[in-house]
Amino acid sequence: MPDLPALNPVVHGRLRLALLSLLSVVEEAEFTWLRAKTEATDGNLGAQLLKLEEAGYLAVEKKFVLRKPQTLYRITETGRQALTEYVQALKQLLGPAIDA
Amino acid sequence: MRDQTTEQELKDRLSLIESMISEGRRNTESWGWTFVLWGVVYCLAIAWSASSHSAWAWPVTMLLAVMVTVVVASWKDGNHPETTLGRAIGSIWIALGISMFVLFLGLGLSGRLTDQHLFVSVISAILGMANGASALILRWKVQFACAVVWWAAAVTTCFGTDAQSMIVFLVAIFLCQIVFGIYGVIAAAQERKRRGPIHA
Repeated sequence: MPDLPALNPVVHGRLRLALLSLLSVVEEAEFTWLRAKTEATDGNLGAQLLKLEEAGYLAVEKKFVLRKPQTLYRITETGRQALTEYVQALKQLLGPAIDA
Repeated sequence: MRDQTTEQELKDRLSLIESMISEGRRNTESWGWTFVLWGVVYCLAIAWSASSHSAWAWPVTMLLAVMVTVVVASWKDGNHPETTLGRAIGSIWIALGISMFVLFLGLGLSGRLTDQHLFVSVISAILGMANGASALILRWKVQFACAVVWWAAAVTTCFGTDAQSMIVFLVAIFLCQIVFGIYGVIAAAQERKRRGPIHA
């Protein structure tokens, strides 16, 4: 089996992978929704979202709704492409073991 | 050993992707409580209508149920992001609600809602349509089974006595609203429990 480094290390982190997968099926999501779905802590979630943002995989929009701050995250085309390539690489690495 | 660990880790990643995608798309299961609520409301409307023969029984109970649904939904799923799938399913149920409300309000107020068989048959057919469309979009066999029950009720209620028609309606409400709703609530809770927190 080929070594793990063949996989994109930014996408490979469990929480980052979960976030990209979640955001791939919704138009945009609030921080609080992502926290509820992943059950991650605020600090950890914020740090992993920042890494994805720095990689250009997420776009962030901050706004105020009824005077309350709201942070919305959206997957970018680059992020979607990275996730697709990651899944393809994963399937290639697993090969026949995928159904085992 | 290392290969085995790596293979397990890769499988874990693949399963995580599948689980998160299905979580992001999750709609109907987290709406199980509305099926239970509406099942109870249908029973209340039937009881009120049967005891007083009031034309307002259905419109009033339906309006109250709409208000409770809107309030609880905005409190429960206020920050749920929009998905194309969610919008499609939501549109079906909103259109169903409006159709039933205007149809039965018009029939009730005009005094033309006199045939119980027709009333139950139309309600069952409309509910079969909405459940069937949702089930086909979500590829959810359990909900499709509910649609089949509603369609069967729509046909069987055309025959037999008034009492038999009402029994068919109540059985369909029990199976497709109460039982299915409770199943949806339990399935959603089990999925959340099974998944647990995700660490970096």
